[in-house]
Amino acid sequence: MAVVAPIWLNVLDETSRLCQAHGRADLIEWLRQKRAQLLDSQLRVLVVGEPKQGKSQLINALINAQVCPVGDGVTTTLPTIVKHADEASTITHPTHVEIGVPRGLLASGMVLIDTPGIDNQDPARLKAPPADVVLLVSDATRELSVTELNLLLHLAQSHAHLAVVLTKIDISPHWRLIADHNRQQLAGVGVAATVIPVSSALRLAAATTNDQTINAESGFPVLLSRLMRDHSAKGDELARASVNLIVRSVVDQLAAPLRQELSIEDSPARSDTMSRLRDAQRAVDELRRCSTSWQNTLNDEMADLISDLEYDLRDRTRRILREVDELFDEADPLTHWESFSGWLDENLIEAAEANYRWLVQRCEAATRRVADHFVDYGYGYDALPRWSMRVPDDLAERVSIIEQPRIERFTPSQKIFSGLRGSYGGILMFGLATSLVGMPLINPVSIGAGALFGGKTVLDDSKSALKRRQTVAKQACQRHIDDFFLRFSKDCRDTARQVQRMLRDHFTALTEQLQEAIIQSFRRAKQAADLERNQRHRQIEQRLRQLASVYEQAQALVAARVTA
Amino acid sequence: MRLEEATWALLQETLDVYRDDPRVSAHVHHQITRLNDPLRIAVMGQAKSGKSTLVNAILGEEIAPVFENVLTWYHDGPTPLITAYTVTGAAHDLPATRSAAGTRIDLAGWRADQIRDIVVQWPIRALRNASLVDTQPEAPPTSEVDAVLYLSRDVRAADLDALQQAHLSSVARAAPVSTILVLSRADEIGGGRIDALLTARQLARRHHRDPRVSSVSLGVVPVSGLVALASRVLSEEDFERLQGIAFMPRPELDGYLLSADRFAAAGGGELLERFGLHGVRLATTLVRTGHDTRAKLGAELARRSGLGELREALNQYFIERRDVLKARSALIVLEELLRNDSRPGAAELLARLERVIAGAHEFAELRLMATLRAAEVTFDDDLNAEAHRLIGGNGGSVAARLGLEHEASDAELWALCSEALIRWQGLAEDPGFGFELAQQRAARVVVRSCEGLLAELSEARRFGYAR
Repeated sequence: MAVVAPIWLNVLDETSRLCQAHGRADLIEWLRQKRAQLLDSQLRVLVVGEPKQGKSQLINALINAQVCPVGDGVTTTLPTIVKHADEASTITHPTHVEIGVPRGLLASGMVLIDTPGIDNQDPARLKAPPADVVLLVSDATRELSVTELNLLLHLAQSHAHLAVVLTKIDISPHWRLIADHNRQQLAGVGVAATVIPVSSALRLAAATTNDQTINAESGFPVLLSRLMRDHSAKGDELARASVNLIVRSVVDQLAAPLRQELSIEDSPARSDTMSRLRDAQRAVDELRRCSTSWQNTLNDEMADLISDLEYDLRDRTRRILREVDELFDEADPLTHWESFSGWLDENLIEAAEANYRWLVQRCEAATRRVADHFVDYGYGYDALPRWSMRVPDDLAERVSIIEQPRIERFTPSQKIFSGLRGSYGGILMFGLATSLVGMPLINPVSIGAGALFGGKTVLDDSKSALKRRQTVAKQACQRHIDDFFLRFSKDCRDTARQVQRMLRDHFTALTEQLQEAIIQSFRRAKQAADLERNQRHRQIEQRLRQLASVYEQAQALVAARVTA
Repeated sequence: MRLEEATWALLQETLDVYRDDPRVSAHVHHQITRLNDPLRIAVMGQAKSGKSTLVNAILGEEIAPVFENVLTWYHDGPTPLITAYTVTGAAHDLPATRSAAGTRIDLAGWRADQIRDIVVQWPIRALRNASLVDTQPEAPPTSEVDAVLYLSRDVRAADLDALQQAHLSSVARAAPVSTILVLSRADEIGGGRIDALLTARQLARRHHRDPRVSSVSLGVVPVSGLVALASRVLSEEDFERLQGIAFMPRPELDGYLLSADRFAAAGGGELLERFGLHGVRLATTLVRTGHDTRAKLGAELARRSGLGELREALNQYFIERRDVLKARSALIVLEELLRNDSRPGAAELLARLERVIAGAHEFAELRLMATLRAAEVTFDDDLNAEAHRLIGGNGGSVAARLGLEHEASDAELWALCSEALIRWQGLAEDPGFGFELAQQRAARVVVRSCEGLLAELSEARRFGYAR
């Protein structure tokens, strides 16, 4: 007949597979050890407790042999494993002592493990050797201490069969009260452990006298029958209970991180989203700062540019004006106007072109400087506007040709008239003077003087006419250049303003585009995270369902035992 | 200026500085009064460590515990008077009646949680120079007490931790140890064997040699409170009963003494309550081996219980040094007060306090004693013992310091003292011994103690008495 594997073994292996799925190699190893221990037919009985409670003596009394050293001070310093052997033997390992004794009780496969007293240790740190049954030894001279209760609570998590052995009942007159008190305390903290009062001294005394009544009084028959029962139940009931505890512990350990992940309202995902949102906000803020600063740069640059250009134009026109002045100090507009107006036109056009070229250069420079603000956003010169400025071809046509001023000429009739006017004075002056010497009014002297005076007057008038002409020409030029300056500088300023407006529109559009990109990327990331989280949720829920089903199987093991 | 005087002066000045603060003034006044009160010795230990039994044994009366888990003071007084102070501060007298069966105290229907503390006044010689405080288990050490009797059944790490807690303030560090460790319930060692008390003595010596223990306690004394108490309240009736049991046929007796249950079943319940199984075993053995009167038995039980040693230790370590211990606790309180409530003048007082602590030779002695015990500084064995003795480790009297057990003339004392002085001066200053700095410093403390002894002797010679 094929041996059917017990149901608890199936549950245990199922749990092991779950651990595999969760990637918990540590738990698998632990389960493997537990499995081996449960399949082993030996009953391992662990004896623990505070120092000086009579743990070693309890073992000695159990097997009626002085195998564990008993002393008045702290005696046991290493865990001692007492098992059956055909001949008494003691092997000392660095971490524990192994003692073999030929005893019928042990021959059936019971192993007793004595431990050093637990003094001021955190129960969670305690490394208890693997065991099927744990006996906590506490002497009957006092109630269970807080340390002992904590230790029991800790042990109850991993051991299905616990018992509190109340030792030294021979010297305590009130051991029954203490036992009752301890039972109440155990019930109070919810530890399912029976209290077994014993007296090692009585048991050993009974062994020497072979007195059955004393043996019965020692309480050891109760303890022994309890251990025997546990031993016989090891393959089934004890194993079921143990597996129940093991599975519960494993499921707790596996579920805890999952539940935590669920319960903190998807904290990692959420914090991820939050951090993304924060990043996006930071980026938008950054962009806003950048936008302010590029606007400032643009405004400053353009204001500088306009004032610089105006100054340049003014400078150029003044230089032309100065040359015009110098020219007309000497030259007669009457004769030189034609060539002069050509020169002036040429110069003004040149000035306008130079100024406009400069405007173009400066505009480009300003554009680049504004574009520099976008370098951080991955824009190099891509940020520059697609269009570029050129010096317009029709610049020369925009400069109007100077109108010739009305230049007054010194006509021959005017010359005659002024000659006559001058000669009249001369004739009269010298005629009168010569009349004194008896000469007639008109005489050769006076006529000569008249001619002289007439010539002088003609010369003078012609000079003053030239001066007047020059002044008129200068004034005309000045007016013309002023007009030119006014018109052209207005032109330039308009152009600059237009450029500024275009740049502003261009870079505003760029900024908006960047902002949109930031928000878009945030939205995409959030969607991706949400999706991932939902998947994770489903995964966790599925795993929790798996755990729950194994847990139910484990519970069923114990329930079956109860109904059986 | 002696330490007590310096402490008193410091307290008076604190009173001046804080005269407008009624709370602090009351506190300081309390400390000044305490300097004249008897030494307060706390009996501490974990639950069930035998505190109340020990208190009863010392008092020679079955009074403790008046109330389970309530702080109880025991003072010497002309008439028995037990007063309970409630949580609200009201005082209520609890009537007590003494009978042959012990003292019965009428609790008048009070519950433990209604009562803050209980003051027991009892006419008892043992309390003339000191009062006892029975504390709640695991209560923190309080500054209200000057010295501590710490009870432990098996000297666990938790006990040592609790003792270490007491050394946090700088005064406490300056004068570290004011604790005697009592190995209590010594009769239960080894399952109540007849030689349990002898074993306990060996264990106590072993613990005392352990630096972890000796760094927190002046000495380890094994006491069986139950046996001690039994010896003190042993009545003629009890003795007769014991005699009756002791002379039963041996096998029958052994059967009865096998377990408490058997003995109680045989009608020994009352004796068992009073003596414990070990006490009964010990007493019957003693009766059989010739302690045939009540007095003899009582004396032998008292001797074996360790009570005598405990009294001696109390006397030697606490009572003789009571002025220093009281000054110490007053300074601890003062330091805490000055640190917590600073105001103009407090910093100066704190500086003065630190000077007093640093300058007090009594503290230097206590400190050296602790370092010698913890083996932080050692000479060879003989020198260790001598240093310990000279700084008062075996008692503060001149004779105890010089290690004399017999009466000695002044001249003899003088000679011994000068000899010690010269020897230790050599050790402190002569580089030939190759001592380290710490050892030389320790030797200098011993020299100072010798000088103090000589000063005391010369004073005694002038006034014609010896301390």
